[in-house]
Amino acid sequence: MGLLSDPSLTPRGKFGRTLAKHSGKISLFFYIAGLAWFVCLSHPEFSHGTYLSENALSPGLVDPEIGQDSVRLAQTLYEELQRERTDHKSTTPHAWIAAKMHQIGLETHVHNFTLRYPFSAGKEYHGKNVYGILRAPRISSTEGVVYTAPYRAVNSVHTDITASVPMLLAFADFARKKNYWAKDLVFLVTEQEQLGMHAWLEAYHEGGIKDSPILRCGNLPARAGALQAALNLEIQDLDIDYIDVKIEGLNGQLPNLDMFNLVQRLTSRSGLSSGYKHTPRKKRRSNRDSLEDNLRHMVEMLKSQATGVPNGNHGLFHRYRIESLTLEAVKRTTNTNNSNRYGTALSLLKTVEGISRSLNNLLERFHQSYFFYILVQNDRFVSIGDYMPCLIALASPMFIKAFLLWLTTTSADDAAPEEEDTATHEERLPMHLPYISVLLYMVAALLLGFFCNTLPYSQHVRDYFNSMGVSTQWSVGLILAAQVLLGILLPLFYTLPEAGLELLHIGVLIFTGVALIVTGLLNFALGFILAVIISPVTILLQSEHVNGLRQKLTCIYTFLLNPMVVIYLLVLWLTLFEFPELALKDMAVRAISASLDAITYGLMDSIIYGNWLYTAIAAIYFPLWILYWTLALGRKSYAVTVDKKLN
Amino acid sequence: MEFGISIIFLILLYASPIAAVKESSEFNEELYVRPMANGLVNTFFQFTTRWHYGDRENLHNTQLIPRPIAETLLLYDVKELHIGLTQGLWRYETYGYPVMDNAPGAEVRAWFAGENLTSTDVDDQWVKLASTFSGILCASLNFIDKTNSVEPKYSFRPQFVTGSKANIPQFVRYASLPREIVCTENLTPWKKLLPCNSKQGFASLLNSGHVHNTNYHSLGMKMRTICESYNKNCILEFTETANMVYDPKLLGTNGDFSLRRLFGQGLNGHCALAKSSKIYVNLDDQPYDLTPTPMYNVTSRRGGSTTTLGVYDIQRLDEDKFFNIAWINKKTKANVQITPTPPLYAHRYILGHGQERGQILTQITNKHYAALPIVLQENIPWFVPSYMHTLKLIVQPENGAEYTIKPRVMHYIPGVQRLRPYHLELLFEIPALSTVQISFDFDYIFLKWLEYPPDANHGHYLGSAIITTQLPMGRNYTAIPVDKHLFADSFNASRSSYFLEIRTESLILSLPTPDFSMPYNVICLACTVVALAFGPIHSVATKRIVVEQKDAQPQSLKGKVMQKLFRRKQNKTDTNTNKAEAHAETVFGHSIADVKQ
Repeated sequence: MGLLSDPSLTPRGKFGRTLAKHSGKISLFFYIAGLAWFVCLSHPEFSHGTYLSENALSPGLVDPEIGQDSVRLAQTLYEELQRERTDHKSTTPHAWIAAKMHQIGLETHVHNFTLRYPFSAGKEYHGKNVYGILRAPRISSTEGVVYTAPYRAVNSVHTDITASVPMLLAFADFARKKNYWAKDLVFLVTEQEQLGMHAWLEAYHEGGIKDSPILRCGNLPARAGALQAALNLEIQDLDIDYIDVKIEGLNGQLPNLDMFNLVQRLTSRSGLSSGYKHTPRKKRRSNRDSLEDNLRHMVEMLKSQATGVPNGNHGLFHRYRIESLTLEAVKRTTNTNNSNRYGTALSLLKTVEGISRSLNNLLERFHQSYFFYILVQNDRFVSIGDYMPCLIALASPMFIKAFLLWLTTTSADDAAPEEEDTATHEERLPMHLPYISVLLYMVAALLLGFFCNTLPYSQHVRDYFNSMGVSTQWSVGLILAAQVLLGILLPLFYTLPEAGLELLHIGVLIFTGVALIVTGLLNFALGFILAVIISPVTILLQSEHVNGLRQKLTCIYTFLLNPMVVIYLLVLWLTLFEFPELALKDMAVRAISASLDAITYGLMDSIIYGNWLYTAIAAIYFPLWILYWTLALGRKSYAVTVDKKLN
Repeated sequence: MEFGISIIFLILLYASPIAAVKESSEFNEELYVRPMANGLVNTFFQFTTRWHYGDRENLHNTQLIPRPIAETLLLYDVKELHIGLTQGLWRYETYGYPVMDNAPGAEVRAWFAGENLTSTDVDDQWVKLASTFSGILCASLNFIDKTNSVEPKYSFRPQFVTGSKANIPQFVRYASLPREIVCTENLTPWKKLLPCNSKQGFASLLNSGHVHNTNYHSLGMKMRTICESYNKNCILEFTETANMVYDPKLLGTNGDFSLRRLFGQGLNGHCALAKSSKIYVNLDDQPYDLTPTPMYNVTSRRGGSTTTLGVYDIQRLDEDKFFNIAWINKKTKANVQITPTPPLYAHRYILGHGQERGQILTQITNKHYAALPIVLQENIPWFVPSYMHTLKLIVQPENGAEYTIKPRVMHYIPGVQRLRPYHLELLFEIPALSTVQISFDFDYIFLKWLEYPPDANHGHYLGSAIITTQLPMGRNYTAIPVDKHLFADSFNASRSSYFLEIRTESLILSLPTPDFSMPYNVICLACTVVALAFGPIHSVATKRIVVEQKDAQPQSLKGKVMQKLFRRKQNKTDTNTNKAEAHAETVFGHSIADVKQ
């Protein structure tokens, strides 16, 4: 039998009792150790240098063949496209793109998709992607590589990246004249930002057979076999200052480290300044390789990964096990000598050629190197084996505390003399603890979470609010606020029987620990950040009523941890930085609507793209919060009743 | 069922009247060049040897036919054999229909017929036949066995004639190896089967450096026998084909091309053994000027479409000079050519993501204004467990809502893991101007670690599906009629319907693959060590050690005797144990502690 029945570990042993007494300190120690471990990771001793693990990727490092004529073509296409853009203010010049692709000699197709916005009375958005396939002469269309460029209309709020399409076409024109392709090359121009990309991928892999009622992506007229890799180009201008390599994908997935290394090597060879979370030259020179810089780099990466929202069109590929990243070429703002204005465009084309030739040579899917890593610098990384311990250290206090609580709970119940048999001790144990009611209580909390997850999206609720004329944001906000209110009131409605709170405490701790570790395995960044903010509660929460101050502190901290409150505070913090000129009252009001927007976006992301952040928060962490709230509050009321009884 | 029978109905072969019993053989070489609408060029070589060998005994003395081919007829009951070695994919939508269609990779099908022939005999002969040709063509055909061969019921029809009145059992076998890579090592032995080798004649144009620079190239081999009566007065027809698609743009020109550009050299005359050596050039709406101009033109009317061909008779040419034909773009490029869409084409792909469940979807499009009968054959390897209850046929008309149909006839043999592939044949009618999607689900499974091929993460190949139909018209259709043997016989060969065979893409399936890297091996080793260590450690940890004093000598007489006997036996069996050790054992034997639970 397991540890729990081992007689040497019952609190009758002094060891257990001592441990239980210091459980708070032990937890605190682990918490600090976890954070310290994370800080240590930024030190070069703890990270590894990157290297190309897959030898098949090296051919791209040969002398590039692409020349000045391709740059000239890109230039002419860019000018043509600029003229087209004056006629197409809010749409994509599909005809122009398709004609150019056809002229180059690609097998050109158009993909239509429709988004039926699930809220506000089913508004419909139509979109069109244009793609051309260069059929590789050396293969029977069993494998393909995708090169994509998002197109942004003139009236788009995002940065202008018009130069991507001409660059893509110039590269396609170059590739068309080569006979060494062993994977079909798909040149794809998407619109409507990530929606277009998502629709295209969905159509490629689901073929319109399993069409969701929201996004109708239909089927594609032509395919290129199993896609092996993808490269997304976001080029702001033909005159480039530096390249920012974007890697974070949907739900925090990352491309294979080999792919990142390859891009890093090729850009550096062609003389482009590039890197992950790259910043302009001047800033970078000042502080480099310092511990602080490394740590900032790591935290930046975790921050963008934690939301699970991809920071480019590449992020949607990862779900289909297609390695992909974005090259964001940032426009030069400083004026330099005009003689070599398009020198950088040539370097970029050379990089793209090198990447494509390396990918073309891949015999197997990316499987070497790392899929789970944190970049410390452009050429240093921390692998999963090194960063997981800090999450485990952050989550372990919960398990330790749960175990020690279990020991004390059983001993508190069991006032029997020491000579009593272990067997009877075990038998008597279940009689005392109110398993059923605690379980029911947890189920009730989970049910609330379930409603949070499903109600905002339910057809009837949507129809009802729509008929009332309430906007989407407010209807979602109202539903969630009602749930949260129910959650807050839950401990007041129902008081757990004696020893129920202790049992609940044990259950919650184990639940939290498991949830954090599972989240961390799926998306380390999210798991880590959640662990950092949740762990203090578990440390603060006392099994015994000690003093009022700590109790109040726990209550306040737990309240602040409420998902809604956290979102509001985050948004408020951001507003504070974005609009410092506003008065505090305005800011608070503005932050409310902004946080409602944020929640709605999270919900949309989960419905349309399959981002599970909303689901995880609503269905797992919100119920957990209710339980913590119960523990933080319930302890007090229990104490009051005890006091009353005593009186 | 009637429908099915009509499809498989044998066209009676009009074997040319075999008058003379005297054996004779003839050899023809033909080259067909067809510039395609999108600037690509299709070249098709056909080398036909037809040997009227008469009786079976004459097969021992071959002339133009290579000896191994004749010997296979002696050794096996094979009557018809098709082998295709293909690199690349024939794209029907842009290329039209080929003269000879082959699936990507290697493909073999054979008909066996003979008295008292059983299916088990055929299985045995089939494997041996494949191995034979594996040696002849240096291809991996020896990997053909029962686990990847199927016995199609409706898809293929025999093109041989046994000539027997009695019902002789016939068997067909089909297998494809989509992973096979076709290279020079296949081309060289293939050329050596020709009477003039590659020294002279059209075969001298097939230089590996240029053949393998094409967008598509397919080496074919076809053999069949036509007999007047059973095994008597027979003809052996042996055809070798090479079908290639060139992209002149990749050759570094602006669209002009010539024989020298395509093949690296001009034509150095004809094969001296050939009865005819002709080059046919398609002249329909070509934007090219030809130099030299064809010797004469031929107009072919077939199934409602007219084709004009220019003919060059190489045998009438000077032997000394290299012969070259150049296609030069006309100066006026006013009209852009539009590829006429063929009436029927198909695609196949895998849907779904993740490593749990997927769907194979075959999409057949009918652009014809009438419904067409279809036979679809799927040959799914055993490692793709498919669920036929999920089989769905969805018709998507060009205008209108989609609906499901049921196949008229379904022939399905479920696969058995590691023994037999999944074989599905569907007979149905595809409505006019519509697309049919045939889909079924499958599971991703783990294989045994030795069953993964080298480069395991490349994925596993699934061979092409084969779609056969009968077209009512001959547009885009260039195949040679079943009762004829030369390419020239396809001119003016109007029939009531045209038998068409098309193939889909082959697929790559990424099965869940273990990490075959160094860490994987380390994990395996470490786990083995842990497993080995666990036993003793567990037993030491859970068993209680009790020290028990053994008596110095057994008390009873019987005990003493037994002890002595036992000891002696031990000494005898273990010869290496020396006496000193044995002595020590007897001395210290008293204090051995028994380990008891």
